[in-house]
Amino acid sequence: MFNYNFRWNQALNSLPQMLEGALVTMEIAILSMVIGISVAILLTLFRLSGNRLLYAIATTWVEIARNTPALFQIYMVHFGLGGFGIHLSPYLSLLIGIAFNNAGYLAENFRGALKAIPETQTRAARSLGMTPIQAFQNVILPQMLRISFLPMTNQMVWAILMTSLGAVVAMNTDLYGVTSDLNARTFRTFELFAIAAVIFYVITKVITLSARLLAARLFRY
Amino acid sequence: MKTSVFAAGLLAVTAMALPAQADKLDDIIASGTLRCAVVLDFPPMGSRDASNNPIGFDVDYCNDLAAALGVTAEIVETTFPERIPALMSGRVDVAVASTSDTLERAKTVGFSIPYYAFENAVVAREGVEMATWEDMKGKVVGATAGTYEAIWLEGKVKEWGEGEFRPYQTQADVFLALSQGQLDATVATVEVSEASGNFPGIKIVDKAPMVPDYVALITLREEYGLINYMNLFINQQVRTGRYAELYKKWVGEGEPANLTIQGVYR
Repeated sequence: MFNYNFRWNQALNSLPQMLEGALVTMEIAILSMVIGISVAILLTLFRLSGNRLLYAIATTWVEIARNTPALFQIYMVHFGLGGFGIHLSPYLSLLIGIAFNNAGYLAENFRGALKAIPETQTRAARSLGMTPIQAFQNVILPQMLRISFLPMTNQMVWAILMTSLGAVVAMNTDLYGVTSDLNARTFRTFELFAIAAVIFYVITKVITLSARLLAARLFRY
Repeated sequence: MKTSVFAAGLLAVTAMALPAQADKLDDIIASGTLRCAVVLDFPPMGSRDASNNPIGFDVDYCNDLAAALGVTAEIVETTFPERIPALMSGRVDVAVASTSDTLERAKTVGFSIPYYAFENAVVAREGVEMATWEDMKGKVVGATAGTYEAIWLEGKVKEWGEGEFRPYQTQADVFLALSQGQLDATVATVEVSEASGNFPGIKIVDKAPMVPDYVALITLREEYGLINYMNLFINQQVRTGRYAELYKKWVGEGEPANLTIQGVYR
């Protein structure tokens, strides 16, 4: 038995606030991807470097990021670092937490992509007189990014959805934070969260579709 | 002839057997169980003891209500935001969960008369210079998301136009953030503030100048039978001295808050 009268007009009045929240959510997701991709490339280089220390750092990062809940990672950025006197705002805690998670997963995607590129290409590039860095930068990296492009959009979707975990570090300006704040005031739980779900759906759809279009343009043969 | 008498008799028996539209109060008594939503992260109102059993003022209050109804109580743990979905989806019958009776919320749920009232205090980190509540202006402050004091404090921060408001998910997180220095100050009920001794380096500064936070029992808005019963039950709790007894048991010495308001009915 579901005992509830839907009153959409009251909830829809809050739509402008929720859309503002959606902007913050997208901002965090995009920034966390930019940071995540950069760090993941670095981690991939660490693993290729042959240096045991760098290899260990990269492996530890990937292991923690992939094998613990994102909720825990974000919580630890805020309260774990907080215990050592490093105080990050909710916004930064959430951003760093998601970026940390992204970097771990993307590094693993990149590793898979690298496996798909024949090693002979590096040797061919080297025999043309390229330095190892040039060979990586000009031959391997573009292919690696191309192969892992679709997994990256997947991670982007995850990043958007993970922003809702910001609630544990007192984030209240993103879409989830705004929604739950409105809910506490008005108790219009079902309308508010239904609207939030639709907004989340639209954002992720728009992002995946535009990523496909972008891929079609970028990766023309 | 015989058949029509028989049919009429059958009809009369069926009419008597069919209840006149059972409401929630009937359902509870018929089922023999009263399911209460209680927040167990909010001592001394609700928490768990060492062997993980629900305890606290609200837990006892639910048990008393069940006893009055002649049924057994079932405590269903919820968070503050989960109270309403639990009620609407029929997972619980009532919420005994320190719910502040705002007019905005009364558009959605049915409130009883107040069964408790909280005073709120300003709690600050020891290193922070703070003499009165107004010194919170411009500081990083926070409170438990979705509570009366959080809504008040967020409003104040907006009014001041400086400083920052952070709503943490649980009371424990608020005090953790405060003792780590992520927050400069918080507003919490006096009861909770006094129970915050586990967290080092925080102190009560001042009373918060808010209208007392009257909290009520909630159920579905249209369940007048049950709301009516709860009102009388709350009245009886005070009348019989049980309210004062529970206050002494969970909160401490002193007078429990007055639940009536001067100069107005209800």
